[in-house]
Amino acid sequence: MAAFLPPGAPRPRSGNDNPSQPPPPNYNPNLNPNSLADNLNNLNLNRPPSMPSSAPRASPFGQPPHFPSPASLPGVSVGSSPFSRPGPPPGALSRPAVPPTGPPQSTLSPNVPPPARSMGPPTGQPSFIGSRTPPGYFPSSGGTNVPPTYVAPPPGAFPSSGFPSRPVGSAPPPGTRPSTASPPLTTGPALPHSSAPSGYVTNGPPAFMSGASPGGPRFPPAGSAPPPPIGHPLTLGSAGAAPQAQSMRSFLASPAVVAPPGPPAQPASPFSAPPQGVPPPPGSYGPPTWPVQPGQVGPSQPLSGSVQPPRMFGMPPPPLPNQSMTAIPALSQTGAPVSGTSKIDPNQIPRPIPSSSSILYETRQGNQANPPPPATSDYIVRDTGNCSPRYMRSTISQIPCTADLLTTSGMQLALLIQPLALPHPSEEPIQVVDFADIGPVRCSRCKAYINPFMKFIDQGRRFICNICGYTDETPRDYHCNLGPDGRRRDADERPELCRGTVEFVATKEYMVRDPMPAVYFFLIDVSMNAIQTGATAAACSAISQVISDLPEGPRTMVGIATFDSTIHFYNLKRALQQPLMLIVPDVQDVYTPLQTDVVVQLSECRQHLELLLESIPNMFQNNRTAESAFGAAVQAAFLAIKSSGGKLLVFQSVLPSTGVGSLSAREAEGRTNISAGEKEAHKLLQPVDKTLKTMAIEFAEYQVCVDIFVTTQTYIDIASISVIPRTTGGQVYYYYPFSALSDPAKLYNDLRWNITRPQGFEAVMRVRCSQGIQVQDYHGNFCKRIPTDVDLPGIDCDKTIMVNLKHDDKLQDGSECSFQCALLYTTVYGQRRIRVTTLSLPCTSMLSNLFRSADLDTQFACFLKQAANKIPSSPLLQVREQVTNLCINVLLSYRKFCATVTSSGQLILPEALKLLPLYTLALLKSIGLRNDGRIDDRSIWIECVSYLSTPLAIPLVYPRMVAIHDLKQKDENECLVSPVIPLSSEHVTDDGIYLLENGVDCLIYIGNSVDSNILQLLFGISSAEEIPTQFVLQQFDNPLSRKVNDLVNEIRRQRCSYLRIKLCKKGDPSGALFFSHLVEDKNPSGPSYVEFLVYVHREIQMKMSS
Amino acid sequence: MSEIANTDPEGLDGVRMSWNVWPRTKVEASKCVIPLAASISPIRHHPDIPNLPYAPLRCKTCSAVLNPFSRVDFTAKIWICPFCYQRNHFPPHYHMISETNLPGELYAQYTTVQYSLPQNPDPNLGPSPLSPVFLFMLDTCMIEEEMGYVKSALMRAIGLLPENALVGFVSFGTQVQVHELGFSDMSKVYVFRGNKEISKEQVLDQLGLGVARRAGGTGYQKGVPIGFPNSGVTRFLLPAADCEYTLNALLDELETDQWPVPPGSRASRCTGVALSVSAGLLGACSTGTGARIIALVGGPCTEGPGTIISKDLSDPVRSHKDLDKDAAPYFKKAVKFYENLANQLVSQGHVLDLFASALDQVGVAEMKVAVEKTGGLVVQAESFGHPVFKDSFKRVFEEGEQSLGLCFNGTLEINCSKDIKIQGIIGPCTSLEKKGPAVADTTIGEGGTTAWKLCGLDKSTCLTVFFDLSSSDRSNTPGTVNPLLYLQFLTSYQNPEGQLILRVTTISRGWIDSAVSSEELAQGFDQETAAVVMARLTSLKMETEEGFDATRWLDRSLIRLCSKFGDYQKDDPASFTLNPSFSLFPQFMFNLRRSQFVQVFNNSPDETAYFRMLLNRENITNAAVMIQPSLISYSFNSLPAPALLDVASIAADRILLLDSYFSVVIFHGMQIAQWRNAGYHNQPGHQAFAHLLQAPYDDSQVIIRERFPVPRLVVCDQHGSQARFLLAKLNPSATYNNANEMAAGSDVIFTDDVSLQVFFEHLQRLAVQS
Repeated sequence: MAAFLPPGAPRPRSGNDNPSQPPPPNYNPNLNPNSLADNLNNLNLNRPPSMPSSAPRASPFGQPPHFPSPASLPGVSVGSSPFSRPGPPPGALSRPAVPPTGPPQSTLSPNVPPPARSMGPPTGQPSFIGSRTPPGYFPSSGGTNVPPTYVAPPPGAFPSSGFPSRPVGSAPPPGTRPSTASPPLTTGPALPHSSAPSGYVTNGPPAFMSGASPGGPRFPPAGSAPPPPIGHPLTLGSAGAAPQAQSMRSFLASPAVVAPPGPPAQPASPFSAPPQGVPPPPGSYGPPTWPVQPGQVGPSQPLSGSVQPPRMFGMPPPPLPNQSMTAIPALSQTGAPVSGTSKIDPNQIPRPIPSSSSILYETRQGNQANPPPPATSDYIVRDTGNCSPRYMRSTISQIPCTADLLTTSGMQLALLIQPLALPHPSEEPIQVVDFADIGPVRCSRCKAYINPFMKFIDQGRRFICNICGYTDETPRDYHCNLGPDGRRRDADERPELCRGTVEFVATKEYMVRDPMPAVYFFLIDVSMNAIQTGATAAACSAISQVISDLPEGPRTMVGIATFDSTIHFYNLKRALQQPLMLIVPDVQDVYTPLQTDVVVQLSECRQHLELLLESIPNMFQNNRTAESAFGAAVQAAFLAIKSSGGKLLVFQSVLPSTGVGSLSAREAEGRTNISAGEKEAHKLLQPVDKTLKTMAIEFAEYQVCVDIFVTTQTYIDIASISVIPRTTGGQVYYYYPFSALSDPAKLYNDLRWNITRPQGFEAVMRVRCSQGIQVQDYHGNFCKRIPTDVDLPGIDCDKTIMVNLKHDDKLQDGSECSFQCALLYTTVYGQRRIRVTTLSLPCTSMLSNLFRSADLDTQFACFLKQAANKIPSSPLLQVREQVTNLCINVLLSYRKFCATVTSSGQLILPEALKLLPLYTLALLKSIGLRNDGRIDDRSIWIECVSYLSTPLAIPLVYPRMVAIHDLKQKDENECLVSPVIPLSSEHVTDDGIYLLENGVDCLIYIGNSVDSNILQLLFGISSAEEIPTQFVLQQFDNPLSRKVNDLVNEIRRQRCSYLRIKLCKKGDPSGALFFSHLVEDKNPSGPSYVEFLVYVHREIQMKMSS
Repeated sequence: MSEIANTDPEGLDGVRMSWNVWPRTKVEASKCVIPLAASISPIRHHPDIPNLPYAPLRCKTCSAVLNPFSRVDFTAKIWICPFCYQRNHFPPHYHMISETNLPGELYAQYTTVQYSLPQNPDPNLGPSPLSPVFLFMLDTCMIEEEMGYVKSALMRAIGLLPENALVGFVSFGTQVQVHELGFSDMSKVYVFRGNKEISKEQVLDQLGLGVARRAGGTGYQKGVPIGFPNSGVTRFLLPAADCEYTLNALLDELETDQWPVPPGSRASRCTGVALSVSAGLLGACSTGTGARIIALVGGPCTEGPGTIISKDLSDPVRSHKDLDKDAAPYFKKAVKFYENLANQLVSQGHVLDLFASALDQVGVAEMKVAVEKTGGLVVQAESFGHPVFKDSFKRVFEEGEQSLGLCFNGTLEINCSKDIKIQGIIGPCTSLEKKGPAVADTTIGEGGTTAWKLCGLDKSTCLTVFFDLSSSDRSNTPGTVNPLLYLQFLTSYQNPEGQLILRVTTISRGWIDSAVSSEELAQGFDQETAAVVMARLTSLKMETEEGFDATRWLDRSLIRLCSKFGDYQKDDPASFTLNPSFSLFPQFMFNLRRSQFVQVFNNSPDETAYFRMLLNRENITNAAVMIQPSLISYSFNSLPAPALLDVASIAADRILLLDSYFSVVIFHGMQIAQWRNAGYHNQPGHQAFAHLLQAPYDDSQVIIRERFPVPRLVVCDQHGSQARFLLAKLNPSATYNNANEMAAGSDVIFTDDVSLQVFFEHLQRLAVQS
């Protein structure tokens, strides 16, 4: 465990206890939405035509020959470029652009290069692609699961496939299409991973099987045959773009997954088409598709089910009974007869495909920034100049030269910074650089810290700041001659000159006072409800256990207080025979009851503390005070630690009802007064007034970081309460409804992780950008007093800050743009450090490059945070609309400017962002964006999102589901967490047990007809009837139970979260809860995935045509 | 008291009046110069007072109690009230009454009787008496050493408390800490900030005793001590027997105030808020519960309401000069605050006792009002280790002979004959604002009423009632009216055992037409009482009247008195003689003029306040000693004998024992001191010397033992620095101006004050002036 700790905060960690343990540092490799994202997905939503298209696709498939061509990317690219230009006017432009981006790639670029970028994992992409071609990729891409197979193939495959497909659409066009398609394809390649192989396979039918059986088959069928036709018809119907469309589809097809499903399923698309008057195609389309699919499906499904995740390629059997099916008819009606036939194959639409093995990732290669692997994948970083993407990642790995370009793309430019993120255990620790009294070398103008991108000139006597461009004198002591390569000779020996992340030892100049001690103040609710629900006992027990995890040494100070309608401090001084309870009864105007002795050195009060924690639950056992003076208590505790600052850990169980900052049950008021409630429903998600905010700002000023553990049974107004942690760099832990049986373990583990995770105190963070870009604003849990800096009374490895960027000038194409984040903080051992994280990215003026280098995970995290930000201040409908539009606009931009040869009938997705619609849909169905949830649930969701790290952003809205009833059949060596099942009820059977987790909660769904043996083995119960409402996962002495425990522990490790485990059964509210997480299903909060795709497609079409 | 008892001037009734014969008219009364006043000791112990275990009979119109001066018609079973002449029927249970079968209250010699009233009629309360409450309020802003002293004093006191007495504990410094003694799991303390005024309701609310928090307030819980319908308060107030251990442990761990005091600053001490909180806490007790706050204060209040001085040490505590010049910025505000506190305590019927121990002032002057209005005790010492504090504090809790007999919840009502008006009372009480025909237009002290509240009273509590006569001359027609006047004092109170007692004292005095017989009037003059009354009145006027010139007023009063009652020929000073009834009075006045009561500038406002409070509450004898100390001389050749209060009494071979009430000085003449230093008294052959040395000590101990507060004992030698305690009190017949005239071994006083002789000369001259 210790390994993962950052150097700054080396903490001993005991790794023994299983579940209890804080989550391990590693992230989950499993979900690589990214990998998928990397690939450009072309979703062809064709109406019925699509179906027919399938037939055409077949031809593409047939084209497999093309593959070869793709294989020889150059050729393709060439072809493509020409095509692109001629093809879609708008797209043409962009595309050409694309190729240029990657010089070497250029040739390839059109087709290949893009994929490369999209590939993300492959990092080198463009270049790679160009030069290396597929093979090259493999290694690079290797990061993903089966690097060789997937990655490499994908790129190649996609393009190839794409090309082929296009060709298919319009036979000759192939070449061109490839080009056009290529971009998408390029992206596509990423997708390929999973599908890629399949794609390839598809191309070469036999191959499929080899690759990913499910995917493979599907592709071929779907893609090959039906898509093309569909596309055509559609295109015809819609516009001349037909060929493109086809190509697109073909891509899709090639990705196999996407294309097929899209068209058929989406009646929607059909609709659009029909109106256009595409009627003719339908008939033909329909049939072909079906047959094809079925056939394919059959095999594919089993496969998918058994082993590989279906991923993007869903091979829905013809029977696709799902909503999509049903939907289709309806659609069809509007559209035409076609509809009936048309549909998107739900099994082939893009889905995240987890990778199971670690990727090795170098941050820079060949003196160029290497696009990062997906945040959710398992990767090992070698810092070769740029910082690890764990610490900082940009929504786009290339920086648009102008604001206009960025606007056109519809994407966001933002950084997600997690300054103390946990490194992978295999990564080299961050090096600490001590410049002694001089302090770190900095630019004298903009104060940027020395970093690998500062260019030394004039024999090393001067250096040019990469941030502001100013030329500084090199300090005499720091002088070093330059080598023949223009670098300082000592560049490789000095971490600050060759590493993207270093830590400087801060000198006195960086301190306004001595570094603060590690102060931990525990504040426990002992009001009647807290006592009676066992929350107090749980809190005391957790604290008691966690005492031993506090940093050793004289600098660790501890204080404790309890509160109900009054506040009770405890004098823990050693001289006293027993702790002395000091009550502050004035909760309107609080104060601290002692100047000293309320906060005592841990070493002096350990016994008293333990004694006290043991006795608190008993002492208040008969407490009849139902009121809670939370605000006052926090304020009083703050006063107690004001002189030093520190961490304030609050355990709160009821709505604060008295004293400063008391709150009212406005949720209930909202319910009773429906008219008012509905008009401004979102107001309930705002803090009720400024009292707590004002308090929080003062806390922050005195470096007090507040974490709140909410163990409640009722509404507690998280919206108001959470202002305090949010402003002070803390967070809210939410246990609702608190269960004295199952929650104490989580409470303990959360607390333990809270205290033991790498963290810093009294921190200040600033991000500097190269000229041309500036920071627009920061989002996260912090306090901001001046525009340029954020104050973080506490910062830890889980906290992420989003930094929105804006242009204030044009950037030069081909230059690099640097971002430097400096975090000045105090470690728990009282050292003052500056962690400097630098990222330098290339600038581009080509839109297609932007799409290729889009980082889906980061973009989505950014979407998520922005949406969460707006929820409290805007009507829900508006937010939902904005979220949807954000997605549509990106896709529209791509469709409009990058996807040259498309037919309007096809939904074309940039490979890197092909999962964007899925995630957007998931976001729309998330707790925060639904209005059927409890106010507090929504508030906590918003609160959680505000500091959520990139790797955890996606699981939060798009959880991971695995089947656990058949775990024991799995191979020992297989990745524990795969295979992942798509979040569709279609994949949930009555005789199965499924585990679904989003990084916070873990739902275990038990079907009605599960084998009782399995129930016995796993839960010690014999039938689903006996499922307890409160559940503690136990390990029984059998392989299955062991496996499940291992699985859960692995997930906990990956998520750095203990997870609240809940059992769900059908026909029960818990079952409904479970199904509400299946975002691909149609449900009251939104359409099914397929429907959504259709909707998106239609919107794009409308905007295209308008 | 034994020796004094023999010559008890107060008798059974405990009443002494400045005039025992009253002139008939207001005009005549004003000519008498010395006001018509009665000094009463409402519950002074006397073995002859009968105790009647039944309720008194009251006149149905004036509610005066049946008394020996009532005319009784035994056949008609009717009694006539001597005050209003109302005829009252005896109730049935008096049917046995006859001339030979009188109830106790009708015996002529029992002008004072005591009724033990039946207990609270509420059957719920049962027979057990109300337990007194002692709430200790301890200052923690002091050095460790002082803290040690005060802690041990407290522990000893707690050990002395009756087992059923309820005890609470509040400590304060920068903040106020209310200790919840009834919390068994650990020491539990409610902390109130010291710089914020807090109302009773807030205190109750914050202590969880508020009305809102009384769960099921009506239900009466079994096992809860009687008198606390709000059972919550028993968390804070526990029977002494139950909490002695807790309290001792608590005191053991109690530290001095931990809030840092910057250099050059006074400790931050929130006496005002602490008192508010304590009073608030006691407010949770049911009405009628006798309770006292025993405040142990070690310095001035510097924090929050009631502050008397800033924290800056360079800012000295206000002096009389500052007060005169209105240069004490905190004074008025603080007084106002303590007045409000006093009113709260009075309304609750609770007492504030103040034990101030510090070298500097602690704000007694400001807090005086709260102590005096509630009838609390006050002791001022320079250290908690000083015997003045230690022994006094112990006395408060001692039982038996030495017991102060602390009683609670007293109410004094006065009935008087027609035409007599009551101006008010000086002393530890509060007006209840009960209007009636007997209320005078002018007010002295606590006036405007015929009833007063005495939250705390004890055996020695003494009040001075000022009377006036009706200005109408309708009653002035002689012969038609009863030649006697009647006064009835009704004092109901709760004794230390919790019993309700009503003491009724009815006295009668004669009217005299002073125009007819000045001689008779003079015979009725009580010089000692008159002197004390004048002293009290002067003190009051000094405090309340802007720019009052006390010396001048006293001189003029004395001259007028002498003019009226002296025998002289106009403008012939030599012819002046004074009736023996008045002979001592001028000397009293001389000493009063020089006393700390009038010459306040030698003392701090705190000391002055302290002296005056005691002057007002002590009996006449003791008060007279305050004005004019007693001096006893010890020498080889004679028995101990009173000596002239004159510097001439000093001799090298004498030992003098001065009792000035607040201090007892043993003064060794030079020779005696030398012998003693040589250790002669330890030698076998000099037992006489040893006895001589010992005698004044023994006598001083007698004084000290009897007195509360315990006087400071000063042992000094002639020409020693402490000798000033004696010299300041002596008539400066020998000063450096006439040093050549003095006798050998005598002493001189370095003063420009006039001597008694000079004073007399002037008096004679002025008295005879026409």
